[in-house]
Amino acid sequence: MLDSHATSARIRGGAPSVAVFSIGAIEQHSIHLPLCTDWYQVREVSRRVAQELGALLVPALPYSMSQCHGPAPGTVWLRPETLALVVRDVVLSLRAQGIRRIVLINGHGGNFVLDPVIRELNLAYSDLMVIRPPFEGGFNAVDLFEHGDVDSHAGEVETSLMLVIRPDLVKAKRLDHVPAVGREFFDYVFLDRWAPDGVTGIATAASAEKGRKALAVSAERLVRTVRETFSALESLKSECPEGGAG
Amino acid sequence: MLCTWENTTREVAIAEPEIALLPVATTEMQGQHLPVGSKCFILDAISRRVGETLPCSTYLLPTLPLGTSGLHLGTPGTVALGWETLASVVRDLVESLLAQRISKVAVLVGLGDASGGAAWPSDNFIVKTAVRQLNYDHQELQAIWVQPFRAAWTDLLDIFETADKEVHAGEVITSVMLHLAPDLVGEDRSDHVPAAGPELLNYAPFARVCPGGVWGCPSLASAQKGAQAFHAAVRHTANYIVSTFDSLAPMKTCQGAGERRSGDA
Repeated sequence: MLDSHATSARIRGGAPSVAVFSIGAIEQHSIHLPLCTDWYQVREVSRRVAQELGALLVPALPYSMSQCHGPAPGTVWLRPETLALVVRDVVLSLRAQGIRRIVLINGHGGNFVLDPVIRELNLAYSDLMVIRPPFEGGFNAVDLFEHGDVDSHAGEVETSLMLVIRPDLVKAKRLDHVPAVGREFFDYVFLDRWAPDGVTGIATAASAEKGRKALAVSAERLVRTVRETFSALESLKSECPEGGAG
Repeated sequence: MLCTWENTTREVAIAEPEIALLPVATTEMQGQHLPVGSKCFILDAISRRVGETLPCSTYLLPTLPLGTSGLHLGTPGTVALGWETLASVVRDLVESLLAQRISKVAVLVGLGDASGGAAWPSDNFIVKTAVRQLNYDHQELQAIWVQPFRAAWTDLLDIFETADKEVHAGEVITSVMLHLAPDLVGEDRSDHVPAAGPELLNYAPFARVCPGGVWGCPSLASAQKGAQAFHAAVRHTANYIVSTFDSLAPMKTCQGAGERRSGDA
């Protein structure tokens, strides 16, 4: 796998046809998880996916749309339009060096601007295939957890993953909270209004064993989705008249 | 005291950081011999040491690995942001720090070079514009920018033979990489110093001006010079940050006081 530890010449030699770009977040994760939880999780799973695909791994973006946490100490955010610009620039940089299959892996559930951006890119540049298989911080394997249905932030899922990735950064004391309102409340008020401890889910149910299994399944599902999506797109593109002529 | 992204929100709250550090690097072709992440790796290491050195409670943000590397666009591994994108990223991050009452922010911009003078950055230029605009937009903010190699330029001229001729992937950056990560530095180090000035890079892609990807003399690099330069960059950057905030604080206070005085008169 090629990443930013390689020289430009080595990347040229490897001629990767796929690149993986992942998006983290720096935001409050209750009393027991570090600010970098989303970033470290997405880096870990992206490395596994890029390895499996033989892809170029672009350095992960550490920050994204975390304003939903408000001014919680240490939390920093990008506005949606800024994240959109970053994704566009990264995709076009990769296209400029001849890489046209690009996999975005999103580590933070609140990055809703990604879909409009990739849709626009794919429609504007017919040679590009920019795809976003689901990940969102392990939530593409949420079915493996006991309390996945009430989990959205710093709960059983994220805590279990961090117990595998960086157990030294996970504090022993954890709080559980099941909000009385739905996740659409992220759209209306800062999280601390409906989840005062910054957690939604059952953090005390987390375990490294669950995390290990979820990470493996999550990466596996990502790889499978990427392969299926690219192959479906290829046959769609080969069916179109311009594709056949070219 | 230094807190980082590896702390919890509560730990940052307790530390009550007075200053935040935001490092902004690039991921771009660095000659035949250096990894595309070189500037990011070096800026990461310098920023952490600077954070540990500062005499006040400090919050270090993760290094933005991407910057305005447009002149290397198309070379394998180069991933560039447009200038308006980088300006927006810096604005959003500084404003989110301000929202949690961290009003002193130092943006560490790329690495800079030893060409002297602190008024004009040599990488990620737009950060200068973004910082200036942020200070206009927010009275309570003290945002500054600093380039570690630029801050240490007098030392760099002593340590290196060709620091003043280096624009890209030369003696300075290669030496610092030999100090920090020798395993990542290749042997193919050919020197190239074009006759033209670096302003040529405003007009033509880098690969046309320097086909080997180097503007400087990497053949003269050594780990020992790199260690000296690294420590000089940390020391001068920390000093610059402390002295600049010291100079700035009374000026920002005077702004308000001056207005009040003129009102009284």
